[in-house]
Amino acid sequence: MKKKLIRNSGWILCLVFSCLVLGITAHAQATAAAKPAASPAVPADTELKGALAKAPSQADLAKGDPGGTITGTMNDVPVADSKVGPTVSDVGTQVGQNKIAINFVWTLITGYLVMFMQAGFAMVEAGLCRVKNANHTYMMNFFVYTAGLFSYWLIGFAIQQGGSAGNGNLGGLYSLNSEHTLSFFGEAWGIFGGTGLFLSGHTYDVGVMVLFLFEMVFMDTALTIVTGACAERWKFLAFCVASSVMGALTYPLYANWAWGGGWLSQLGANNQLGHGYCDFAGSGVVHAVGGITALAVCMIVGPRIGKFNRDGSSNPIIGHDISAVLIGCFILAFGWFGFNPGSTLGASAAGNLRIGTIAVDTMLAGCTGTFGAMLYMWMKNGKVDASMSGNGLLAGLVAITAPSGFVSTVGACIIGLIAGVLVCLSVAFIENVMKVDDPVGAISVHGTCGLWGVLSVGLFADGTSNYGGAWNGVAGSVTGLFYGDASQLVAQLVGISTLLGFVFTFSFLVNLAIEFFVGQRVSVETEVAGLDLPEMGQLGYPEFVFKPEPDVLVNAEKGYAVA
Amino acid sequence: MTLRGPGGVVMAANKSQGSFYTLFLAAATVLCAGVFLWSGGLGKLLFVVGVLGLLASLFGMLKIKPLEGRTALKPSSTAMKLIGAFVAAFGWFITLFGMHLTISVAGRMILALVGIGVTLFGIIVILPAAFNKNAVWKT
Repeated sequence: MKKKLIRNSGWILCLVFSCLVLGITAHAQATAAAKPAASPAVPADTELKGALAKAPSQADLAKGDPGGTITGTMNDVPVADSKVGPTVSDVGTQVGQNKIAINFVWTLITGYLVMFMQAGFAMVEAGLCRVKNANHTYMMNFFVYTAGLFSYWLIGFAIQQGGSAGNGNLGGLYSLNSEHTLSFFGEAWGIFGGTGLFLSGHTYDVGVMVLFLFEMVFMDTALTIVTGACAERWKFLAFCVASSVMGALTYPLYANWAWGGGWLSQLGANNQLGHGYCDFAGSGVVHAVGGITALAVCMIVGPRIGKFNRDGSSNPIIGHDISAVLIGCFILAFGWFGFNPGSTLGASAAGNLRIGTIAVDTMLAGCTGTFGAMLYMWMKNGKVDASMSGNGLLAGLVAITAPSGFVSTVGACIIGLIAGVLVCLSVAFIENVMKVDDPVGAISVHGTCGLWGVLSVGLFADGTSNYGGAWNGVAGSVTGLFYGDASQLVAQLVGISTLLGFVFTFSFLVNLAIEFFVGQRVSVETEVAGLDLPEMGQLGYPEFVFKPEPDVLVNAEKGYAVA
Repeated sequence: MTLRGPGGVVMAANKSQGSFYTLFLAAATVLCAGVFLWSGGLGKLLFVVGVLGLLASLFGMLKIKPLEGRTALKPSSTAMKLIGAFVAAFGWFITLFGMHLTISVAGRMILALVGIGVTLFGIIVILPAAFNKNAVWKT
């Protein structure tokens, strides 16, 4: 019995000992397992403090840094608590701010470039007009910036971007969170935004301001296209009212549908049409809207006196300054490096490193556009036409604007070349068949080639772009017909149909109303005398001696006198 | 500079135009402020004031419009212009509804092209005919 008790006690002791050993081992393992989770924090913070200790002192920096090797160190990372020193959290915050700052600066600077395009437009349009209308044409290009900007600040931006929250490049823009929708066929379709009037309330936000500046200069580009097409006979008051309305309503509506989360951008998610309507930088949103509105207004304003003969044939009305035209074209080409690469709305993260490809695509399409127009005119007429060469450059740039973010350099060259020829054919068609007088070719450059640009996305998008892994809420890259996705082409056709069917009709009706209330056209006397003195009160070039115009251009003047 | 025609002195830009455009801008600003503050009573009041201001500016411009004098435009059929605009819009509706008539890519593409064709007929054929029928250059 005693032996049995002793034996059992031995087993119990062994069991307790085993349990103790196992318990201690398990505790040791648990501690060992917990250690790796906790260990990085301490060494990382320690490492950061070490880096801070090694950072150059003020005395070092006081000696100057000609090589740029000691400027910008751990010392420059703001810390939340100076007693604790730099932490991983501080560094992470700074990295995030750096990303947003890079994108802010990129978007702002490219926006400034686009703003400078106004100067190019002014020179091109005024140069292609007669000297007696120079002041008036320059003034329209000058004032359209003001009129458009004010309308856009009042309400245009809210309509366009008021529901476009979620852009990670600019910090999220979460205050732009109200998109008004209509329900059709069981799906909700975005129609217009609702926040951002006066940039007040929650939209008093740093990211929203950056977006506003960038989108505003785009809007202004669309507005200034109309001034060229209607130059030399558009009443200044009518121009002011029409531009204000376009900046407030026409442009923002279509831009919302394409860029602000509206129904065109939802065609992919709702209707399985590729990635929805894709217009990277605005062949459709900016240029086609401007060109198509220009066509609507041009029809209402009518051709200039002397442009067409009784038999319907047209007379060339030569501009006064080809040097201004070509320099203006170069300014525009320079500004386009803001237009297209800037439309990434960032240079850091989310596939934005494609900005180099976008810039090269842009310059190549301008190049082949010039070739297309210049060679076409040279072969057709035996002479190089400087103004059409300039228009060819612009046509190539307009056409590449929508596809620039999605196509290869070969695609860009083809798109630009076709645009260069297309602009020549379109100018002839609009003038000789439609009998619409467009002094600068704006309808063809921006309207026709803008539509071609929209279409070309659906053909040439090569499926290599990757802006954060999705576009318009559809995963993957935008791919056109030639690379295997025919449905993307359908989405682009829906966009073209909307530009022609909605934008044209809306602009036409609005401008018919302006014609009724204001009157779109100056009087015969004003037109024949030139718009500078009657409308502006000052000649563009007061020391010039005007050469009398051919009789054909002043027939309507008979019976009138200038006092 | 004063321009004179058979009917006497005719107008170019003048003070009234500047005044009415100023009123137009001010009214548009008030109207937008009304939209911005819509949830309150003040917002609705501003909206109404803005609309009235816009109407006043437009009718003011309409009142001085005849002073402009003769333009190089002849009256043309408003009905034809509206028909052209309607046809242009109708083409767009064909495209829109075409997306829901079929889910086939080819079918949608064909309907979109038909819609664009109808729209272009309105823009390229009907409207120029409406504007050019009595064009001043034909006389």
